[in-house]
Amino acid sequence: MGGMHGFGAVVTPGSDVVSHEEWELRVFALSTLVGTERLGAGSGRAIREEMDPAAYLRAGYYERWLWSTEQRLLRKGTMGEREVDGWVARLRGGEAVPRREDPGAAARSVEATTATDPLTSAPDARFGPGDAVRVRRMRPDGHTRCPRYARGATGVVEAVRGLDAFPDIGPYAGPEEPVYAVGFSSVDLFGPSPEGRWTVLLDLFDSYLEPA
Amino acid sequence: MSHDHDRVHDELALRAAALEAVLVEKGLLTTDQIDAIVERYERDLGPQNGARVVARAWVDADYRERLLADGAAAIDELGYGGFEGDTMVVVENTPDVHNVVVCTLCSCYPWPVLGLPPTWYKSPAYRARVVAEPRSVLREFGLEVPSERTIRVWDSTSEVRYLVLPERPPGTEGMDEERLAALVTRDSMIGTGVPSLPA
Repeated sequence: MGGMHGFGAVVTPGSDVVSHEEWELRVFALSTLVGTERLGAGSGRAIREEMDPAAYLRAGYYERWLWSTEQRLLRKGTMGEREVDGWVARLRGGEAVPRREDPGAAARSVEATTATDPLTSAPDARFGPGDAVRVRRMRPDGHTRCPRYARGATGVVEAVRGLDAFPDIGPYAGPEEPVYAVGFSSVDLFGPSPEGRWTVLLDLFDSYLEPA
Repeated sequence: MSHDHDRVHDELALRAAALEAVLVEKGLLTTDQIDAIVERYERDLGPQNGARVVARAWVDADYRERLLADGAAAIDELGYGGFEGDTMVVVENTPDVHNVVVCTLCSCYPWPVLGLPPTWYKSPAYRARVVAEPRSVLREFGLEVPSERTIRVWDSTSEVRYLVLPERPPGTEGMDEERLAALVTRDSMIGTGVPSLPA
Protein backbone atom coordinates (compact mmCIF):
# COMPACT_ATOMS: atom_id res chain seq x y z
CA MET A 1 0.00 0.00 0.00
CA GLY A 2 3.06 2.23 -0.36
CA GLY A 3 2.03 5.68 -1.60
CA MET A 4 -1.74 5.31 -1.04
CA HIS A 5 -3.70 8.26 0.33
CA GLY A 6 -6.37 8.70 2.94
CA PHE A 7 -5.23 6.65 5.94
CA GLY A 8 -4.71 9.67 8.20
CA ALA A 9 -2.26 10.00 11.06
CA VAL A 10 0.35 7.38 11.94
CA VAL A 11 0.70 8.36 15.58
CA THR A 12 -2.68 7.97 17.27
CA PRO A 13 -3.75 7.14 20.82
CA GLY A 14 -2.85 3.52 21.60
CA SER A 15 -0.68 3.09 18.49
CA ASP A 16 2.55 2.69 20.45
CA VAL A 17 1.79 -0.73 21.96
CA VAL A 18 2.47 -4.13 20.39
CA SER A 19 -0.98 -5.51 21.17
CA HIS A 20 -4.10 -4.30 22.91
CA GLU A 21 -5.71 -7.48 24.14
CA GLU A 22 -4.55 -10.80 25.48
CA TRP A 23 -6.11 -12.83 22.66
CA GLU A 24 -3.93 -11.07 20.08
CA LEU A 25 -0.65 -12.55 21.30
CA ARG A 26 -2.30 -15.93 21.80
CA VAL A 27 -3.23 -15.82 18.12
CA PHE A 28 0.37 -14.87 17.35
CA ALA A 29 1.52 -17.92 19.36
CA LEU A 30 -1.02 -20.22 17.68
CA SER A 31 0.11 -19.02 14.27
CA THR A 32 3.77 -19.60 15.19
CA LEU A 33 3.05 -23.09 16.52
CA VAL A 34 0.95 -24.04 13.50
CA GLY A 35 4.15 -23.36 11.56
CA THR A 36 6.69 -25.05 13.82
CA GLU A 37 4.46 -28.09 14.43
CA ARG A 38 3.61 -28.29 10.71
CA LEU A 39 -0.12 -28.25 11.34
CA GLY A 40 -1.01 -25.92 8.48
CA ALA A 41 -0.61 -25.54 4.73
CA GLY A 42 0.60 -22.42 2.93
CA SER A 43 2.12 -19.22 4.24
CA GLY A 44 0.14 -17.08 6.65
CA ARG A 45 1.32 -13.95 4.95
CA ALA A 46 0.37 -15.02 1.43
CA ILE A 47 -3.00 -16.28 2.67
CA ARG A 48 -3.74 -12.98 4.46
CA GLU A 49 -3.39 -11.26 1.09
CA GLU A 50 -6.24 -13.45 -0.23
CA MET A 51 -8.66 -11.68 2.13
CA ASP A 52 -11.34 -9.57 0.50
CA PRO A 53 -9.49 -6.23 0.13
CA ALA A 54 -12.15 -4.18 1.90
CA ALA A 55 -12.25 -6.72 4.74
CA TYR A 56 -8.43 -6.69 4.92
CA LEU A 57 -8.40 -2.93 5.49
CA ARG A 58 -11.25 -3.07 8.01
CA ALA A 59 -9.71 -5.92 10.00
CA GLY A 60 -7.25 -5.41 12.82
CA TYR A 61 -3.76 -6.85 12.44
CA TYR A 62 -4.21 -9.93 14.61
CA GLU A 63 -7.71 -10.41 13.27
CA ARG A 64 -6.00 -11.08 9.90
CA TRP A 65 -3.62 -13.51 11.63
CA LEU A 66 -6.55 -15.32 13.23
CA TRP A 67 -8.21 -15.68 9.82
CA SER A 68 -5.03 -16.89 8.09
CA THR A 69 -4.24 -19.36 10.88
CA GLU A 70 -7.69 -20.93 10.52
CA GLN A 71 -7.23 -21.07 6.74
CA ARG A 72 -3.86 -22.84 7.05
CA LEU A 73 -5.37 -25.45 9.38
CA LEU A 74 -8.36 -26.00 7.10
CA ARG A 75 -6.20 -26.32 3.98
CA LYS A 76 -4.03 -28.96 5.60
CA GLY A 77 -7.13 -30.80 6.83
CA THR A 78 -5.96 -30.50 10.44
CA MET A 79 -9.47 -29.38 11.36
CA GLY A 80 -12.83 -29.27 9.63
CA GLU A 81 -14.95 -26.29 8.54
CA ARG A 82 -17.32 -26.17 11.52
CA GLU A 83 -14.97 -27.04 14.35
CA VAL A 84 -14.12 -23.50 15.44
CA ASP A 85 -17.80 -22.49 15.28
CA GLY A 86 -18.59 -25.56 17.36
CA TRP A 87 -16.20 -24.46 20.09
CA VAL A 88 -17.45 -20.86 19.92
CA ALA A 89 -20.89 -22.24 20.81
CA ARG A 90 -19.49 -24.41 23.62
CA LEU A 91 -17.58 -21.45 25.11
CA ARG A 92 -20.74 -19.32 24.90
CA GLY A 93 -22.52 -22.12 26.73
CA GLY A 94 -20.08 -21.79 29.62
CA GLU A 95 -17.51 -24.49 28.83
CA ALA A 96 -13.88 -23.62 29.46
CA VAL A 97 -11.01 -23.94 27.00
CA PRO A 98 -9.44 -27.36 27.70
CA ARG A 99 -5.94 -27.36 29.22
CA ARG A 100 -3.04 -29.72 28.62
CA GLU A 101 0.51 -29.36 29.87
CA ASP A 102 3.79 -30.70 28.54
CA PRO A 103 6.79 -28.66 29.72
CA GLY A 104 9.14 -30.53 27.38
CA ALA A 105 7.06 -29.61 24.35
CA ALA A 106 6.87 -25.99 25.51
CA ALA A 107 10.66 -25.76 25.79
CA ARG A 108 11.13 -27.39 22.38
CA SER A 109 8.70 -24.94 20.80
CA VAL A 110 10.60 -21.94 22.15
CA GLU A 111 13.84 -23.49 20.93
CA ALA A 112 12.31 -23.94 17.47
CA THR A 113 11.82 -20.17 17.15
CA THR A 114 15.57 -19.60 17.40
CA ALA A 115 16.28 -21.41 14.12
CA THR A 116 17.55 -19.27 11.26
CA ASP A 117 17.82 -19.80 7.54
CA PRO A 118 19.99 -16.96 6.17
CA LEU A 119 20.19 -15.98 2.51
CA THR A 120 23.09 -17.76 0.81
CA SER A 121 25.67 -15.97 -1.32
CA ALA A 122 24.95 -15.24 -4.98
CA PRO A 123 28.28 -15.13 -6.81
CA ASP A 124 26.66 -15.44 -10.25
CA ALA A 125 24.15 -12.64 -9.79
CA ARG A 126 23.15 -10.89 -13.03
CA PHE A 127 23.54 -7.40 -11.55
CA GLY A 128 26.09 -5.85 -9.23
CA PRO A 129 26.47 -2.66 -7.20
CA GLY A 130 26.22 0.42 -9.40
CA ASP A 131 24.13 -1.23 -12.14
CA ALA A 132 21.04 0.65 -13.30
CA VAL A 133 17.93 -1.55 -13.29
CA ARG A 134 14.29 -1.06 -14.17
CA VAL A 135 11.47 -2.76 -12.28
CA ARG A 136 9.37 -4.68 -14.77
CA ARG A 137 5.82 -3.61 -15.47
CA MET A 138 3.69 -6.51 -14.28
CA ARG A 139 0.51 -7.48 -12.52
CA PRO A 140 1.22 -10.67 -10.59
CA ASP A 141 -1.83 -12.73 -9.63
CA GLY A 142 -1.25 -13.48 -5.97
CA HIS A 143 1.57 -13.00 -3.51
CA THR A 144 4.50 -10.87 -4.61
CA ARG A 145 7.31 -8.97 -2.93
CA CYS A 146 7.36 -6.33 -5.64
CA PRO A 147 5.39 -3.29 -4.43
CA ARG A 148 3.16 -1.63 -7.01
CA TYR A 149 4.65 1.82 -6.41
CA ALA A 150 8.07 0.71 -7.73
CA ARG A 151 6.95 -0.97 -10.97
CA GLY A 152 8.33 0.74 -14.04
CA ALA A 153 10.81 2.82 -12.02
CA THR A 154 14.55 2.86 -12.60
CA GLY A 155 16.98 2.55 -9.72
CA VAL A 156 20.55 1.60 -8.92
CA VAL A 157 21.69 -1.67 -7.32
CA GLU A 158 23.44 -0.92 -4.03
CA ALA A 159 24.10 -4.46 -2.82
CA VAL A 160 23.52 -8.11 -3.68
CA ARG A 161 21.76 -9.54 -0.63
CA GLY A 162 22.06 -13.20 -1.60
CA LEU A 163 19.94 -16.06 -2.94
CA ASP A 164 16.42 -16.72 -1.74
CA ALA A 165 13.40 -18.72 -2.89
CA PHE A 166 11.28 -16.72 -5.33
CA PRO A 167 8.12 -16.00 -3.30
CA ASP A 168 5.71 -15.32 -6.17
CA ILE A 169 5.64 -18.98 -7.23
CA GLY A 170 4.99 -20.49 -3.84
CA PRO A 171 5.87 -19.17 -0.44
CA TYR A 172 9.40 -20.33 0.34
CA ALA A 173 9.08 -22.93 -2.43
CA GLY A 174 10.10 -21.29 -5.69
CA PRO A 175 13.56 -21.67 -7.25
CA GLU A 176 16.26 -19.53 -5.64
CA GLU A 177 17.13 -16.19 -7.19
CA PRO A 178 19.45 -13.32 -6.32
CA VAL A 179 17.91 -10.53 -4.24
CA TYR A 180 19.26 -7.00 -4.69
CA ALA A 181 18.97 -3.86 -2.59
CA VAL A 182 17.94 -1.26 -5.16
CA GLY A 183 17.86 2.46 -4.40
CA PHE A 184 15.32 4.73 -6.08
CA SER A 185 15.07 8.50 -6.10
CA SER A 186 11.76 9.63 -4.62
CA VAL A 187 11.25 11.76 -7.73
CA ASP A 188 11.28 8.65 -9.94
CA LEU A 189 8.73 6.96 -7.70
CA PHE A 190 6.41 9.77 -6.64
CA GLY A 191 7.35 12.87 -8.66
CA PRO A 192 8.23 16.25 -7.18
CA SER A 193 7.33 16.79 -3.53
CA PRO A 194 7.37 19.76 -1.18
CA GLU A 195 9.57 17.54 1.01
CA GLY A 196 12.36 17.63 -1.58
CA ARG A 197 14.14 14.40 -2.43
CA TRP A 198 14.88 11.25 -0.55
CA THR A 199 15.87 7.67 -1.39
CA VAL A 200 13.67 4.59 -1.10
CA LEU A 201 15.42 1.23 -1.05
CA LEU A 202 13.74 -2.09 -1.81
CA ASP A 203 15.02 -5.65 -1.80
CA LEU A 204 13.98 -6.99 -5.20
CA PHE A 205 14.22 -10.45 -6.72
CA ASP A 206 16.03 -10.91 -10.02
CA SER A 207 12.78 -11.76 -11.89
CA TYR A 208 11.36 -8.32 -11.06
CA LEU A 209 14.22 -6.50 -12.78
CA GLU A 210 15.55 -5.77 -16.24
CA PRO A 211 18.70 -3.84 -17.24
CA ALA A 212 18.09 -0.09 -17.65
CA MET B 1 -13.58 2.71 22.70
CA SER B 2 -17.02 2.44 21.18
CA HIS B 3 -19.56 -0.18 22.12
CA ASP B 4 -19.23 -1.68 18.62
CA HIS B 5 -15.47 -1.89 18.95
CA ASP B 6 -15.80 -3.77 22.25
CA ARG B 7 -18.32 -6.17 20.75
CA VAL B 8 -16.07 -6.93 17.76
CA HIS B 9 -13.13 -7.59 20.07
CA ASP B 10 -15.22 -9.82 22.32
CA GLU B 11 -16.16 -11.87 19.25
CA LEU B 12 -12.53 -12.12 18.15
CA ALA B 13 -11.36 -13.08 21.65
CA LEU B 14 -14.01 -15.80 21.70
CA ARG B 15 -13.00 -17.08 18.25
CA ALA B 16 -9.30 -17.10 19.23
CA ALA B 17 -10.15 -19.07 22.37
CA ALA B 18 -12.25 -21.48 20.29
CA LEU B 19 -9.35 -22.07 17.92
CA GLU B 20 -7.06 -22.78 20.87
CA ALA B 21 -9.68 -25.17 22.26
CA VAL B 22 -9.87 -27.09 18.96
CA LEU B 23 -6.11 -27.60 18.82
CA VAL B 24 -5.67 -28.48 22.49
CA GLU B 25 -8.66 -30.85 22.48
CA LYS B 26 -7.20 -32.68 19.48
CA GLY B 27 -3.95 -33.10 21.37
CA LEU B 28 -2.00 -31.11 18.75
CA LEU B 29 -0.86 -28.30 21.06
CA THR B 30 -0.54 -27.88 24.79
CA THR B 31 -1.55 -24.85 26.84
CA ASP B 32 1.97 -24.31 28.10
CA GLN B 33 3.36 -24.35 24.56
CA ILE B 34 1.12 -21.40 23.75
CA ASP B 35 1.98 -19.68 27.06
CA ALA B 36 5.69 -20.18 26.42
CA ILE B 37 5.60 -18.54 22.98
CA VAL B 38 3.59 -15.59 24.32
CA GLU B 39 6.06 -15.17 27.19
CA ARG B 40 9.05 -15.46 24.89
CA TYR B 41 7.83 -12.64 22.67
CA GLU B 42 6.49 -10.49 25.51
CA ARG B 43 9.45 -10.83 27.84
CA ASP B 44 12.64 -12.09 26.16
CA LEU B 45 12.47 -10.42 22.78
CA GLY B 46 12.20 -6.67 22.67
CA PRO B 47 14.05 -3.43 22.04
CA GLN B 48 16.21 -4.05 25.11
CA ASN B 49 18.12 -6.55 22.92
CA GLY B 50 18.64 -4.11 20.08
CA ALA B 51 19.71 -1.44 22.58
CA ARG B 52 22.54 -3.71 23.75
CA VAL B 53 23.66 -4.21 20.15
CA VAL B 54 23.67 -0.45 19.53
CA ALA B 55 25.49 0.35 22.78
CA ARG B 56 28.15 -2.25 21.98
CA ALA B 57 28.65 -0.70 18.53
CA TRP B 58 29.04 2.74 20.13
CA VAL B 59 31.84 1.64 22.45
CA ASP B 60 33.59 -0.98 20.31
CA ALA B 61 34.75 0.13 16.85
CA ASP B 62 35.62 -3.42 15.76
CA TYR B 63 32.16 -4.64 16.75
CA ARG B 64 30.55 -1.74 14.87
CA GLU B 65 32.48 -2.73 11.76
CA ARG B 66 31.38 -6.37 12.04
CA LEU B 67 27.80 -5.26 12.69
CA LEU B 68 27.69 -3.14 9.54
CA ALA B 69 29.37 -5.88 7.48
CA ASP B 70 27.14 -8.79 8.62
CA GLY B 71 24.34 -7.73 10.95
CA ALA B 72 22.96 -11.16 11.84
CA ALA B 73 26.41 -12.60 12.63
CA ALA B 74 27.39 -9.68 14.89
CA ILE B 75 23.98 -9.73 16.59
CA ASP B 76 24.40 -13.47 17.17
CA GLU B 77 27.62 -12.68 19.09
CA LEU B 78 25.38 -11.12 21.76
CA GLY B 79 23.11 -14.19 21.72
CA TYR B 80 20.21 -12.85 19.67
CA GLY B 81 18.79 -14.58 16.61
CA GLY B 82 15.85 -16.58 15.35
CA PHE B 83 12.61 -16.07 13.47
CA GLU B 84 12.48 -12.88 11.40
CA GLY B 85 16.19 -12.39 11.96
CA ASP B 86 17.65 -14.86 9.45
CA THR B 87 19.39 -12.09 7.53
CA MET B 88 19.70 -8.77 9.35
CA VAL B 89 21.23 -5.67 7.82
CA VAL B 90 22.22 -2.76 10.06
CA VAL B 91 22.10 0.72 8.51
CA GLU B 92 23.98 3.54 10.16
CA ASN B 93 22.79 7.10 10.73
CA THR B 94 25.45 9.76 10.15
CA PRO B 95 25.47 13.56 10.03
CA ASP B 96 24.53 13.18 6.33
CA VAL B 97 22.06 10.29 6.39
CA HIS B 98 18.95 9.41 8.37
CA ASN B 99 17.59 5.87 7.87
CA VAL B 100 14.03 4.75 8.51
CA VAL B 101 12.54 1.27 8.11
CA VAL B 102 9.10 0.14 6.94
CA CYS B 103 7.40 -2.88 5.40
CA THR B 104 4.86 -1.51 2.93
CA LEU B 105 3.67 -5.02 2.01
CA CYS B 106 3.00 -6.28 5.53
CA SER B 107 4.93 -5.95 8.79
CA CYS B 108 8.51 -7.30 8.43
CA TYR B 109 10.50 -6.37 11.51
CA PRO B 110 13.66 -7.78 13.17
CA TRP B 111 12.03 -9.74 16.01
CA PRO B 112 15.23 -10.98 17.72
CA VAL B 113 16.40 -7.42 18.42
CA LEU B 114 13.15 -5.43 18.59
CA GLY B 115 10.45 -7.96 19.53
CA LEU B 116 7.07 -7.64 17.83
CA PRO B 117 6.28 -4.35 16.09
CA PRO B 118 4.17 -1.59 17.62
CA THR B 119 0.67 -1.02 16.26
CA TRP B 120 1.61 2.04 14.21
CA TYR B 121 4.34 0.09 12.37
CA LYS B 122 1.68 -2.35 11.11
CA SER B 123 -0.87 0.37 10.30
CA PRO B 124 -1.94 1.20 6.74
CA ALA B 125 -1.08 4.84 7.49
CA TYR B 126 2.60 4.16 8.19
CA ARG B 127 2.92 1.60 5.40
CA ALA B 128 1.33 3.95 2.86
CA ARG B 129 2.94 7.22 3.89
CA VAL B 130 6.51 6.81 5.09
CA VAL B 131 7.83 5.95 1.61
CA ALA B 132 5.96 8.85 -0.01
CA GLU B 133 6.17 11.63 2.62
CA PRO B 134 8.82 10.59 5.15
CA ARG B 135 9.43 14.01 6.65
CA SER B 136 5.73 14.53 7.42
CA VAL B 137 5.54 11.13 9.08
CA LEU B 138 8.72 11.67 11.12
CA ARG B 139 7.35 15.04 12.23
CA GLU B 140 4.36 13.20 13.75
CA PHE B 141 6.89 11.38 15.92
CA GLY B 142 8.40 14.74 16.91
CA LEU B 143 11.45 14.18 14.74
CA GLU B 144 12.60 17.03 12.51
CA VAL B 145 15.36 15.76 10.23
CA PRO B 146 17.55 18.67 9.06
CA SER B 147 16.95 19.37 5.36
CA GLU B 148 20.61 18.85 4.47
CA ARG B 149 20.41 15.30 5.79
CA THR B 150 19.34 12.71 3.21
CA ILE B 151 16.56 10.35 4.24
CA ARG B 152 16.87 6.73 3.21
CA VAL B 153 13.66 4.71 3.59
CA TRP B 154 14.23 0.96 3.67
CA ASP B 155 11.16 -0.97 2.51
CA SER B 156 11.70 -4.53 3.82
CA THR B 157 10.31 -6.36 0.82
CA SER B 158 12.40 -9.55 1.02
CA GLU B 159 13.51 -11.75 3.91
CA VAL B 160 16.14 -9.17 4.89
CA ARG B 161 15.33 -7.37 8.15
CA TYR B 162 16.70 -3.92 8.98
CA LEU B 163 17.93 -2.31 12.18
CA VAL B 164 18.99 1.34 12.34
CA LEU B 165 22.23 2.13 14.18
CA PRO B 166 21.47 5.62 15.52
CA GLU B 167 24.12 8.25 16.21
CA ARG B 168 25.55 8.27 19.69
CA PRO B 169 24.13 11.30 21.48
CA PRO B 170 26.46 14.11 22.56
CA GLY B 171 27.40 14.27 26.22
CA THR B 172 27.73 10.50 26.59
CA GLU B 173 31.52 10.28 26.54
CA GLY B 174 32.73 7.95 29.24
CA MET B 175 29.35 6.27 29.74
CA ASP B 176 29.47 2.48 29.99
CA GLU B 177 27.49 0.14 27.75
CA GLU B 178 24.68 -0.37 30.20
CA ARG B 179 24.01 3.34 30.66
CA LEU B 180 24.26 3.88 26.91
CA ALA B 181 21.80 1.06 26.21
CA ALA B 182 19.26 2.80 28.43
CA LEU B 183 19.32 5.77 26.02
CA VAL B 184 18.53 3.66 22.96
CA THR B 185 14.81 3.78 22.26
CA ARG B 186 12.88 1.35 20.08
CA ASP B 187 11.96 4.14 17.67
CA SER B 188 15.61 5.18 17.31
CA MET B 189 16.31 1.68 15.94
CA ILE B 190 13.37 1.92 13.47
CA GLY B 191 14.35 5.44 12.48
CA THR B 192 11.23 7.23 13.69
CA GLY B 193 13.16 8.61 16.65
CA VAL B 194 16.61 9.32 17.97
CA PRO B 195 18.19 8.13 21.23
CA SER B 196 17.33 9.93 24.46
CA LEU B 197 19.76 12.52 25.73
CA PRO B 198 21.53 11.69 28.98
CA ALA B 199 19.73 13.09 32.02
